Amino acid sequence: MTKRRMFLRMITASLLRRRSRMLVALLSIGIGATILSGLVTIYYDVPRQMGAQFRNYGANMIFVSADGTSLDAEKTAEALSLIPKEKILGATPYRYTSAQMVRNQLSFVAAGTDFEQVQATSPYFMVDGAYPSASRQVLLGKEVAKTIGAKLNSMVEISWKPSVTEASGDTELKPGAYLAGSAEGFNSALVYVTLKLGDDLSIAEMTVNADSQTAEFGGRCAEESFTKQFIGKLIPLTAGTDVDAMTGATVTSQAVVDAVNKARPTENAQAATGNSLSLQVTGILDTGGDEEQYIFLSLSDMEALTGEQDRFDVMELSVSASAEELEEYVSQITDKSGSVSARLVKRVTRSEAAVLTKLQSLVFLVTAVVLLLTMICVSTTMMAVVTERRKEIGLRKALGASDSSIRLEFLGEGIFLGALGGLLGSVLGFGFAQVVSVNVFGSSIQFQPLLLPLTVAVSMLIAALSCMLPIKRAVQIDPALVLKGE
Amino acid sequence: MDIRAEGISRRYFRRTGEANYFEAVCRTDFTVEAGKVTVLLGRSGSGKTTLLHMLAGLLTPTGGKIFLGDTDLYSLEDKALSEIRNKRIGVIPQGRSVIDTLTVLENILLPAALYGGESRGQEALEWMKKLDIAHLADSRPTELSGGELRRVAIVRALAGKPEVILADEPTGDLDDENTALVLSALRDAARDGAAVLLVTHEGEAKQYADEVWRMNAGTLTREERN
Ligand SMILES: Nc1ncnc2c1ncn2[C@@H]1O[C@H](COP(=O)(O)OP(=O)(O)O)[C@@H](O)[C@H]1O
Ligand SMILES: [Mg+2]
Repeated sequence: MTKRRMFLRMITASLLRRRSRMLVALLSIGIGATILSGLVTIYYDVPRQMGAQFRNYGANMIFVSADGTSLDAEKTAEALSLIPKEKILGATPYRYTSAQMVRNQLSFVAAGTDFEQVQATSPYFMVDGAYPSASRQVLLGKEVAKTIGAKLNSMVEISWKPSVTEASGDTELKPGAYLAGSAEGFNSALVYVTLKLGDDLSIAEMTVNADSQTAEFGGRCAEESFTKQFIGKLIPLTAGTDVDAMTGATVTSQAVVDAVNKARPTENAQAATGNSLSLQVTGILDTGGDEEQYIFLSLSDMEALTGEQDRFDVMELSVSASAEELEEYVSQITDKSGSVSARLVKRVTRSEAAVLTKLQSLVFLVTAVVLLLTMICVSTTMMAVVTERRKEIGLRKALGASDSSIRLEFLGEGIFLGALGGLLGSVLGFGFAQVVSVNVFGSSIQFQPLLLPLTVAVSMLIAALSCMLPIKRAVQIDPALVLKGE
Repeated sequence: MDIRAEGISRRYFRRTGEANYFEAVCRTDFTVEAGKVTVLLGRSGSGKTTLLHMLAGLLTPTGGKIFLGDTDLYSLEDKALSEIRNKRIGVIPQGRSVIDTLTVLENILLPAALYGGESRGQEALEWMKKLDIAHLADSRPTELSGGELRRVAIVRALAGKPEVILADEPTGDLDDENTALVLSALRDAARDGAAVLLVTHEGEAKQYADEVWRMNAGTLTREERN
């Protein structure tokens, strides 16, 4: 029998004899290492996880026009390019206008947007059905759908009218110009007119929208029998002289004349005439907020409806970056882009940073406490082992084992347990972190290969430190006392 | 090599009458000479084991010095003293002194296993045969009688061929036949040059002795042989 084999047998015999104790020590190191590697994994993953998590609460930056008008698409893209592409989770343009349901004349806010981006900047939007994916599709706010009684996949027709204030530009009348105007009719409801001027500046074409008036009376002012009286006449006109009132609709007739007299030039035929679109309801939006009162359509449908291109009222951004980085982007955009004004949604960014710091210190604290508990447990177990092996240790000392060899043996035993427990903990810890991550953050994490040697090393260190007191006790055993006693 | 005690004493802290210490060994000069069997007699509690442990390098004297040859044992570092205990001194303790997780043979080879010295397997086997425990080599200590365990301890001490053998009542629980075996084994070791100290309270050991000392309440006196 060789000495080495004998020595090995001595150690394994002692380990086997005390396997339940060793198992306890191994288990506590394993658990400690599990928590350690698990929490460290989470610790490093939390900013990423939480960053993504926080982005679920909506945009943290918005672009608006610096001068209070609307955003220009090109300028907005320039401003956007000042933020690193990979940090932008979503950038959603919104163009707001007022639109009417043709069926019942109710007005709603219509928002033209990019639905793909909406899903990135407002992940909390809950859609019954689906987001529109093709043109001529619409997403109705829950309140809108309820009010008009629209169902999924049904068709709705919305119309858009230029408001008088929207009519802009020159007030000078030119041949071929489009004019639009409105005036209060019966019940103070608006009546709209659109005109096209002939070469001699007389009215060449005219349409009336009197949908807001009682159909069988004022409503008839939209009929050609009434509107044809205006053709060929010069603005302004007088009711009763130039135009005969519609029977039973004096008020509406007067309103049409007023609207014609107030009409102002507009940019294009559409802006002058208004437009309507027939859209398929693909989804109904539930947000618990104001959005439930909106109608959402694609930007291209919005353009088709209003004739306006490449203009937004606001752009919402979800940027995955720290508070400092966000501040940096905002100041860059402010410096370089004159027409776009970037703002942080302060409430969101500030609370993100605070929550992160708290979470990380909590993780740190828990890890420290768990490691301390592990040390206490391992130390207690090793102390018990030393007590149990008191006679054996004393005898071996009497037979010539030096203090340093006793020290080394226990340290070796402890470090071996630490390494084994560390390995065990690395594997379990990754599983633990994965479970926590999936359950708490809803996403999986990547295995950090560097964490394995780190966990094993820390476990070995913890185990070695835990052995210090038991080793001291072992070295202090008096062989003379042991030999004398039974 | 001789082992020599110069004016050694050992006090234990224990309340005895007025003093708060108890002197188990008092200022003793004593030599165990190489090649001789020195028998130390004395009543129980007279301080024999205390003296033996001090000679064995296991118990630091409270006064005086122990020399193995020219080496002052207790001036050495733990490492050097441990090695001397292992290689040059063989102790046969008074009580039970085996590790139950090891077999008999493993217990006997334990001192050799602690250091990387030469294997003493052959010597061990011879001594085991001499003391009639060869057949127990692979048994567990728990399966052995007290007398058999005592002989295991004796073989463990002798197998290393130490210069000094310190036996603390090695025949205490042996029958006459085995007592004779053990005593003649020690006699043989002395003949081979070892300094042998045989602590006992039995007078019959005298017949194997070259020198006889008697201990009385911590004080040694030499007995003249007739
Ligand atoms: N560790 C100790 N503490 C206090 N007193 C002790 C200790 N060891 C031995 N003694 C005392 O010293 C005396 C001598 O003991 P010991 O050397 O074992 O005697 P012997 O071996 O001759 O029977 C005894 O009276 C014993 O009570
Ligand atoms: Mg004794």
